[in-house]
Parts: sequence; C-alpha cells; structure tokens
Amino acid sequence: MSAGFRAVQWNCRKVVYDLILVAGVTLYIGAFMGVSAWQRPPANWPDWTNLRIDAFGSCAFIMLTIILSIGPLARLDPRFLPLLYNRRHFGVLTFFVAAVHGWSVFEWFAVQDALPGLANELSNTAAYGKFIGFPYKTLGIAALVVLLLLAATSHDFWLAFLTPPAWKALHMLLYLAYGIVVMHVALGAMQGNRSPLVPVLLGGAFVWVAGLHLVAGRRERRGDRGSKVGEGGWIAVGPPETIPDKAARIVTAPGGERIAVFRDGARVGALTNLCAHQNGPLGEGRIIDGCVTCPWHGFQYRLEDGRAPPPFTEVLATYPVRLRGGIVEVDPRPLPPGTPAAIDVVL
Amino acid sequence: MIILNVLALYGLVGAGTAFAFVIFGISRVLPAGTPVSIGARILLWPGAALLWPYVLLRWVKAGVR
Repeated sequence: MSAGFRAVQWNCRKVVYDLILVAGVTLYIGAFMGVSAWQRPPANWPDWTNLRIDAFGSCAFIMLTIILSIGPLARLDPRFLPLLYNRRHFGVLTFFVAAVHGWSVFEWFAVQDALPGLANELSNTAAYGKFIGFPYKTLGIAALVVLLLLAATSHDFWLAFLTPPAWKALHMLLYLAYGIVVMHVALGAMQGNRSPLVPVLLGGAFVWVAGLHLVAGRRERRGDRGSKVGEGGWIAVGPPETIPDKAARIVTAPGGERIAVFRDGARVGALTNLCAHQNGPLGEGRIIDGCVTCPWHGFQYRLEDGRAPPPFTEVLATYPVRLRGGIVEVDPRPLPPGTPAAIDVVL
Repeated sequence: MIILNVLALYGLVGAGTAFAFVIFGISRVLPAGTPVSIGARILLWPGAALLWPYVLLRWVKAGVR
C-alpha cells in the first residue's frame, strides 16, 4: 500500500508464488531443450542457439497466454484468484524470458558473422508489403518493446504517478503485444515449421484467450443490467441476513457503477466496488481484521468510511445505506471519498 | 538509419533524465515525506528512461508549484 515505496514488497505468499513461477519456467526450458536435443542432437553452437530461441520463445508465448487467461478465469471462478495476486511478477518474468529469446536470435546471427543479413532483413521495405516473407522479426521486436514498457512500469510507484486509470490503460497494451506475438509466430515459426503442432497450439491459445474473455464479459454484462431502483432512487439490497457476514453483495447503479454492500456482524456499509489500487473487484473480497480486503492484492479499507487504515492513504467513495421495512437499501449517489456512511442494524 | 539514430538519442536523453529523476526528482513529484528506498529508485529507472518526456514534464510542473 502507499505509505512509501520499496523495491519489492515481499511477503510469504509472494515468495512462494515467485518460486513456483521460476521453477515452472526452469522446468519447461530444461524439458524443451533436453527432449529436443535428445531427439535431434545439435551439431554446433548455432544449432544450440536455435534450440534456445525455440525454448524461450515458446515459453514466453505460453506465459503470455496464461497471464491473459488469469483475469477472466478469476472472474469466472474465485479459486483462480491466487494466480492473480502476483501477476505483475509473472509479467516481468515473461519480459525477461522474451528478452532471452530476442537476444538469442541476435546471437545466432552474430556467431555466424551474419549481422548484416539481419539488418538487411529488417530494413527490406519491399518485404513489408508481402504476407509470406514479411520480416516477422520486426513484430517480435515491437512486442518486446511493449513488454519492456509494461515491465518497467509495473512498480506501484507508476500506478500512483500515472494514476490508476492511465496505468490500467497503459497495461492494456499487453493485448496488443499478444496480438503482435501471434502474428510474429504465424509469419515466422509457423512458416518455417511444417509440423501441424505450431498452428494448432497457436490457434488453440488464441481461441482460448478470446473465448475466456467473451464468456467472462458476458457474465459481467448480465450483472451490469442494473439493480431495481425503488423510492427516491434507493436500491433494495435485501434483508441484512442475506448479505453474507464479512462479505458483500454487489448491486449495480443505473449508470452501471457497481456498489459493494458489506456486512460485518451487525454493521452494514457500502463502498465503490473498485479498489483504489488497480480497480480490483472489492465486493468479491472479504472483511479481514476488521477491514474490507481486496481479493487481488490485499489492499484494505475501513467499512465505516472507506479509508485505508493508517499509515496508508488510499480512500474510496462510500454510499449512504439505510434499513427500511427490514430491507437494506443503498443510495447509488456516491458520497465524497472517506465519508462515514455505515450503519448498525438489528439482526 | 535515421530511425535508429532518433531512437538512440531518445534512449540517451532518457537514461540521463531518468538518472537525475530517481535521485532528485522523485521526491518532488510525491507527497512530502514519502519514503522511496534505494532499491525502488533502481527499479524505477528503466520506466523513467522510457517515459522521460512525461516524467520531465511532471517534474518541472512539481517544481513550479
């Protein structure tokens, strides 16, 4: 949270996450290179480099596919939320894996004194008009630049410096990078490799990512149709006991804004559903240690007034709530961030 | 070749600007008293080098205020 900035805010969960991540990448690269070298032993250094290019390139593509799948998977099933917790480290590692892939390509040309050939390939403007023969390495460089930008701005400082909406928009460039990588593989590795495995995996991964986003988006839209608005514009949430204790029910204001109505024992309060950190779905979190806790990265807020506990400074908009005829109602017009608005009810 | 030269110039100016920013500028753009560790300053350098025109603009604005 924002009491200051350290290099990495390690905790036990992040260490475990990163260890699993590094172990997974090491296992994949080792297995890929080991099995490939066993099947077709490399004859010289460029052959080994080629193997490294394929191993790191395919690993980066798989990692990108997983990263883009985590968001919709977590929306569809909360059991995937732990994967989301440290997704930024996943992204940074993906950049480094992709960078080794890119460096290996450079090295492949360098060890054979063929760098002028690489320069000619990249600067052959006539080839950019073709489909087959397109200088696909340019696409790889473009994707690597985007991944570098995202990795370099992944620290929480950039989130605060650029503001969450701008940071979020910048990091949506990951979709652009994925699209460029798909083209890079389709015009490169897929053309040079006659095996059906590459198009099947590439197409499968693309359809998987697109399909997951469509399914998750459809479910979100269904929930966004707006809750029924009653007298004076207030939205009925339900009897207090229907709001799960230490959790929330999410209602949608007529404009589409989601409101998380939490219950902590006999106390009921409403906050915006968007976490101030990365717009995480606060209403899918729980009340831990007396604070509403975002399921994405554990940012916490007091239910009473939407303020992060000291020394943290994040603050959320709250909404007026009332109990009428045994029904909890929420006014969808937000109060200024940090305004106390929770009420105590009799259960 | 021109494109490469322009990119090299952008990178060179960015590297210098980012170096100055993580040492001197960062405390100007953050609320007074916000601690930033040396490790964080090192990690912020690449991002500042890439986004240096915007970083410089914010630094100048913060200095004027």
